[in-house]
Amino acid sequence: MTAGTVIIGMGNPLLSDDGVGIAVAHAVAERLRQEMDLTVVELHTGGIRLMEAMAGFRRAVVVDAMLSGAVPGTLKRFDPHDFVTTKNTFSSHDTDFATAYDLGLMARVPLPERVSFWGIEAREFDLFGERFTDEVTAALPGAVSRIIAEIIEWEAAA
Amino acid sequence: MARITIDPVTRLEGHGRIDIFLDDEGKVENACFQIPELRGFEQFCVGRMAEEMPVITNRICGVCPEAHHIAATKALDGVFGAEPTSVAKKLRELLYMAFFVTDHTTHFYALGGPDFIVGPDAPPSERNILGVARKVGLEVAGEVIACRKRNHEIITFLGGKSIHPVAGIPGGWSRPITAAERSQIEESARKNVEFARFSLNLFDKIVLKNPVYLEMVTSDIYLHRTYSMGTVDSANQTNFYDGMIRVVDPEGQEFVKYHPSDYREHITERVEPWTYLKFPYLKKVGWKGLTDGIDSGIYTATPLSRLNISEGMATSLANEEYQRMYETFGCKRITEARYQPIHHRLATHWARLIELLYAAERMLELALDPEITSPETRNIPDPAKFVGEGVGSVEAPRGTLTHHYITDQRGVLTKINMIVGTTNNYAPISMSIKRAAEKLITSNAPEESILNRVEMAFRLYDPCFSCATHFLPGKMPLTVAIRDPQGELLREMRRKG
Repeated sequence: MTAGTVIIGMGNPLLSDDGVGIAVAHAVAERLRQEMDLTVVELHTGGIRLMEAMAGFRRAVVVDAMLSGAVPGTLKRFDPHDFVTTKNTFSSHDTDFATAYDLGLMARVPLPERVSFWGIEAREFDLFGERFTDEVTAALPGAVSRIIAEIIEWEAAA
Repeated sequence: MARITIDPVTRLEGHGRIDIFLDDEGKVENACFQIPELRGFEQFCVGRMAEEMPVITNRICGVCPEAHHIAATKALDGVFGAEPTSVAKKLRELLYMAFFVTDHTTHFYALGGPDFIVGPDAPPSERNILGVARKVGLEVAGEVIACRKRNHEIITFLGGKSIHPVAGIPGGWSRPITAAERSQIEESARKNVEFARFSLNLFDKIVLKNPVYLEMVTSDIYLHRTYSMGTVDSANQTNFYDGMIRVVDPEGQEFVKYHPSDYREHITERVEPWTYLKFPYLKKVGWKGLTDGIDSGIYTATPLSRLNISEGMATSLANEEYQRMYETFGCKRITEARYQPIHHRLATHWARLIELLYAAERMLELALDPEITSPETRNIPDPAKFVGEGVGSVEAPRGTLTHHYITDQRGVLTKINMIVGTTNNYAPISMSIKRAAEKLITSNAPEESILNRVEMAFRLYDPCFSCATHFLPGKMPLTVAIRDPQGELLREMRRKG
């Protein structure tokens, strides 16, 4: 049996901008929870855990901080096929998401038909703190809106 | 001094960059790995109520939140002067065993095992958990996933929350378990025991029965005769949850046994000019550089060292495997139950599987303990017994983990200190990388295989810095740059991730 959509916020909420994925995931869920079958999950590390977190859902959206060299606050969307990793979707203790996903298929784990990844460029990511930098704070509403739009579009197409 | 850099280490760590330093004659002088340090943790914690620590520290690391949660909870027992009830200790240990089973399983199948099962010279794209499954049977993928799932479920209800447990409180555990939950734990523990035995059989069949791999495991490429450290119970047998810290010397003689709260009398850190890593070492032996032997204070805290310090294993099946490992290495018994230490670092993978079996058996013992469903899970701290300082220590999968908190009279944190599992092993890891790097410089072997030998040195310690992974979207190349003493690039090796 599969459920609807899972939105997975990745990162560490105690490490400044690293927590932006979790904040975005909760904000999206807050807006959409009344309208559809939407589950929010917080994850600190990726790899096999990430694959397991989306098991049993038809659709999955993953939001994470990224460190790509772009301007802090930049939002970027990745499809699974051209995606390697954002900051936390790789696990140092097991594997990257692509390998974990293939492992799931091999083990016949029910995995989503649609997966998207959203990265928000972080500025401060190795300093303990519970506040985002100004650039990331400013980027948050835009990220929430775009992810909501994608989820609504998916729902409409389903 | 010239420098070689390998960055990043595939399959392990975003910025676990390896630096190899050459002297003017082109010989390897030093080697180390660099990880970005997180900043401001002490400032973040000071001024908070101490009882927040089990839920703050379990977010330091996404891989071992359970280890931080339990160590922090034990430190709070000390701060509040509250001895946990008997069942509280057992519930903590029960959760911890479920965690150990998942952690060691994942390491073996996803990280350590591929080198042996798929082979150290296989292309990196195959040397992963998928390659393992293709080699030994696709059903193993399902077994690994099922093992993680059943233990994560137990951790979730025992710990009160998925991934980041919240049940640890000073003097106890906030959540008793029901009879139905106990049955589920028992059933899972039995499956864990079978799975651990299956994994050891696999290791036996594929590694030990293969002369090439057996030679690799027992060769001296990663041989370092250091001191060994681990936690022992009152019978001097390894225990992951609680006990005294035991250190044996490279010959296997007990060097010291101390209470975890006395760690500062025994452990100190060395700062070297060529790296920002601080190398812990045994204070009373002293620092002699990155060298082994009885006069060098470098110690190791790993699954292998925990077996080296233990008078056999406390559970029967694990003890049989323990004996088999030491006898395979030709070690002589030095006490009735303990052997001369093994210093061949690749045996750490074998030791990890023996620990996996021990954790599974111990989990079953705890599930069958008549007291385990008792509701008496907490002693309420008595304000008159408040101490204001506590040290909590557990064996994390990757080494002894110590949390130390000091508070004011209100229980507000004024100082914290931590030694995380991997930190203990900074010096041995560097020594193993150095040894592999020496081959890297002088050997004519293909680049790919040499690079992997360097990584194997790193991986066997199961280092964990998941809080510090900084990957970029894009390729994950492995790059080795060899530079002359002036920093000019002499040679570059690169492979794609």
